[in-house]
Amino acid sequence: MAEAFSLIHSDRSCLGEQSVSSQSGNRSVRVAEKERRKNEAEDSFVLALKYFTDVEAGTPVTGNDDFENHLVQVEKVAYSRGLAPEAIATMLEFAMSSRMGNGPCVRVLKCLLPASVVPQDCVVRAVAWLCVGKIPVNTKVLFVKWVLTVFDMIEAKDQLRAVYGFIFSFVTEETLCPFICHLLYLLTRKESVRVFRVRKLLELQSKLGRQPFLLHLLSLYKVFCPELVTLSVPSRMRSGFKNHVNPWKSALIGVQKRNGLQVASGISLTVASKEKTNSRKRKLCHLELPAMNSVVNNEAKTEQSYSLKVVPLVQINSFAQLLENMHRIELPAQMGSLLSSSLALQYLDCVQDESALLRLNFWLGHAFQEEFLFSGDGGACQNSEETLQFLNRLLCAQNFLQEGFYSSETFLYKFLTLWDGSLFRPQILGLLSNIPVIPSSQIERLVFEPLKQLYFTSSLFFKCGLLECMTNMLLRWLTWHSVYALEDDLDISLNSHTSINMTLSGFKDSVMELIHFVGHLACVGLRLEGCHSLLLSFTLDFYETVCDTFLKYGLPLLVMPPPGVFYPAFLATETVSVDRLAFIMHRYKINLASAKSQEKLTEQAFHISRQTISEFNHYVVVMVNCLWNSKMFHTGPGVQLREELLVKSNVPQYWKRFDLIHHHAFMSYAFDFHNQCWPGRKEVDLSVIKHSKPWGWYVEYLFTMGFDGLKQFVQTLISPQLPAGITQNQNQQT
Amino acid sequence: MDRATTSAASTPHRSALVKRRSKSKSHRQSYRSCSGGAASRIGLTPALTARRLNTSRKAPKSLNITERVNAEHLALLVKTKWKLCYATPLYQFRHTMLKSYARQLSAFIVAEKQRGLAVEVEGAQNHFRASFSVLQGLAEADDPETILIQIHSKPLFSSSEEPQRCVWSGWLSCINGNLDYLHSLPQGFTCLPLFGSSGTEVLTTLVKSWCQKTFDCSFGPLEINYTSLQWFMALLTNCHTESNIQHLKMIWSIPVEPPLQVAFTVSPQDAWELWSSVRTATRDLADPGGCIDFEEVERFTQGLKSHFYRHFRLDLSAGSLKEVSTALGGASINGRVKISNSRYMITTLALLTECALLKMPI
Repeated sequence: MAEAFSLIHSDRSCLGEQSVSSQSGNRSVRVAEKERRKNEAEDSFVLALKYFTDVEAGTPVTGNDDFENHLVQVEKVAYSRGLAPEAIATMLEFAMSSRMGNGPCVRVLKCLLPASVVPQDCVVRAVAWLCVGKIPVNTKVLFVKWVLTVFDMIEAKDQLRAVYGFIFSFVTEETLCPFICHLLYLLTRKESVRVFRVRKLLELQSKLGRQPFLLHLLSLYKVFCPELVTLSVPSRMRSGFKNHVNPWKSALIGVQKRNGLQVASGISLTVASKEKTNSRKRKLCHLELPAMNSVVNNEAKTEQSYSLKVVPLVQINSFAQLLENMHRIELPAQMGSLLSSSLALQYLDCVQDESALLRLNFWLGHAFQEEFLFSGDGGACQNSEETLQFLNRLLCAQNFLQEGFYSSETFLYKFLTLWDGSLFRPQILGLLSNIPVIPSSQIERLVFEPLKQLYFTSSLFFKCGLLECMTNMLLRWLTWHSVYALEDDLDISLNSHTSINMTLSGFKDSVMELIHFVGHLACVGLRLEGCHSLLLSFTLDFYETVCDTFLKYGLPLLVMPPPGVFYPAFLATETVSVDRLAFIMHRYKINLASAKSQEKLTEQAFHISRQTISEFNHYVVVMVNCLWNSKMFHTGPGVQLREELLVKSNVPQYWKRFDLIHHHAFMSYAFDFHNQCWPGRKEVDLSVIKHSKPWGWYVEYLFTMGFDGLKQFVQTLISPQLPAGITQNQNQQT
Repeated sequence: MDRATTSAASTPHRSALVKRRSKSKSHRQSYRSCSGGAASRIGLTPALTARRLNTSRKAPKSLNITERVNAEHLALLVKTKWKLCYATPLYQFRHTMLKSYARQLSAFIVAEKQRGLAVEVEGAQNHFRASFSVLQGLAEADDPETILIQIHSKPLFSSSEEPQRCVWSGWLSCINGNLDYLHSLPQGFTCLPLFGSSGTEVLTTLVKSWCQKTFDCSFGPLEINYTSLQWFMALLTNCHTESNIQHLKMIWSIPVEPPLQVAFTVSPQDAWELWSSVRTATRDLADPGGCIDFEEVERFTQGLKSHFYRHFRLDLSAGSLKEVSTALGGASINGRVKISNSRYMITTLALLTECALLKMPI
């Protein structure tokens, strides 16, 4: 004990030194003075504790000035800094032994504010004193309340658990019972649940009626031993034990704050009982997540395997516990309950048991079909709040697992043909984007057909939503490929694993189908919506993924966007679309170049079709001709207009209309640039910029405006050092 | 209650038939593999191979099951009108643990009846007593044995000597279940897709929720759709030569304002003659064991409809068939059936099992 105090002492002086060194003359004197007083106070505190340790039984309280002074001393320290573990032990022993009668006992208990931890053995000793029976009942209650308050600060609980039976015996004392139940609740382990205890509690229940504290303790017993007791918690029952008003709470928080400790959460220990969000009775409750319960296993005693000592998942409360018991966790009785907690999802990620996943899928599939497919009278609309919650939770789980559940996939195939495209749109599209790769022979019928119908008859926002969903789907497929492609190869060499049925070419076919499908949707959609910039943006999002399939995801496949996507993007009025298109072309170029070089290196690498390359070259030529060389409608396939038609349009110098200066997306930048370069000039002549020097500056200027896509496009596809003609030829050779 | 038979029955183990994966590394793979031995992780999606109602089935053999099935049980099955539900496969159901299930269910019912009061499982509850027993003699081939659940109780104000009487009964059954489907389930699952109940709705809900909690299964209402009702009609009419159907009664509902219900009763002889006429000529009518095709069934219904049209100028195709009944049994669209003759029980239950299996989410 003395050591501990000197420790505090030296701490203080150390602090004092620091402050002395950092502060100037007369203040340091003041500090030193303060320090001295503090030391005196500490000395008297040590004396006080010594007094309470040594005081003899039967010493009178009234008129005992020594006692009064010492107790005041202790209280002062307790309320300001809290008591050290040894001080707690001394004072608790003093109070519970009732050496000076019961009067001081309450007062002492009230000031037992621990500074850090509470030693376990002193609590056990106190429980022993409790059994002696000299203490009046309200003091007993106060003590148990105190234990509940500081429960989390008791350093270990093993000895306390060892006297579980003694503590349990107090449940028969009526006033003490609620608090004892709470304490037992905190101490209970599986081995403490016994038939005779269950009987005792049930007996009490029949005497006292349905008391929440009894019910909470019994429900915990049920968690550990469902074969012994059963009950159903009424929905109206308040969760948790009543957070009894106790004298320590605010003082303890104050002490802990002063000591810079984290405020103990132990004060508000509650039962994690199921909260019903909706008291309204629902006839159909298939969307309600089942509560997590452990399996009732009566075979346990006979079965050998039980000796492995499994831990039901419901008893796991923290990630650390989960890791510790990973190898012997028992799944709950209802797999659907796993979706309700994030901890359980962590475990689900590692579940290898087929039947467990099948159970989950049965439950989920049933919920889906009852809610959406069989409800008939638009049941989904009536319970939209619950349905929404359910779907969001499911999506959350799927996103966490980064994989869709099999039954939600099966459900979607059936549901897409019935869907109106607006019911829970974000959620359904979210589920859809989680669908795993579908064989190309089935993809059309299962997914594309119904989606096409919805797409062409729905609003712009649905179109955008669907494109986003398809982008996510593609991303998932590609990610899946890049993760598992390697493993699959390994598997083939290890054993003839049947799961590798989907060959690379099969997978490529599916991805290609998807890309072509989205290309088709985007083309027609852009035409229908008048090249709406929002739709264009979602389309470009998609192609930003498509252009990088080879380098980013290692899939030997490159698909160019159709002209119906390329031209609207290139001729868009927003600079950002042109810039993104330039970026996409730049990525295509890099992907194609690296694929080419690999092709040369290894025979195995995929062969890029001529078609793809010529498409790419064509697009690049168009872009370079228009933006750079001012040669709109010059040559080549694609958009061609007869000369006389162009003349008839009366557009002066029509071939220049889409260069970097005159392109409607860039014209405002050209004006700005012109104004900055030649601030005095009244007449704006943009063609001045075309001269080689200002052109270079202009391009630089555009780069500084944040058009990184354009910059990369220029750097990879137009080498500024070379005359434009040569670059073009080079490109065509690629 | 026959305890001896209870323990004798056992849950079929199909370990030999279930091919287990050596390992499964991704969710998708394991999800996939759940779906009935689909070999590939990505390949076959079982949704694509949807189960369908059989288009052809054997004509009901008049099976004398009175020798195979306990008379008391059979009497219960025959005299009661059952409300049907489908149930997804039960997990970890053991035919050997029925006694323990009975205890748990009794305690569960008592606990639910007095919410907020804990109940000891092992103790004697005298208010409600559940019992589980095996209905032996119904299952065919690889079907798991049918389970009969009964709940006994005493009326609230009754003397203590008065015996408890059965207030609720129900059964879980699978008769001639699709073998591919049954075999595709991994070990640990028992497929008893057809759930019939008779008694108060409250107890039905309690039994269902106890099953959900204990066997991780789900229940949903089982409607008997138009196709199945037509089958019902044809199969029953087909039995006429062996046991008189007395009458063939249909209830149609016509969507007009105000709604019109048509009760259409055909005399047994007329029905039989119509049925004989639509049977494919090549088949030997004397052999009732032959196959019946769905086309014949459709022709039969069509014949009945056109007969009605000729007399009343009302085309029944515009409405929907709600109910059919004969002296041998009846069924209605909302999933209520009555099997009045034990000889055709197996056939009827097989048809209903098929309907229930169609409802399986996976």
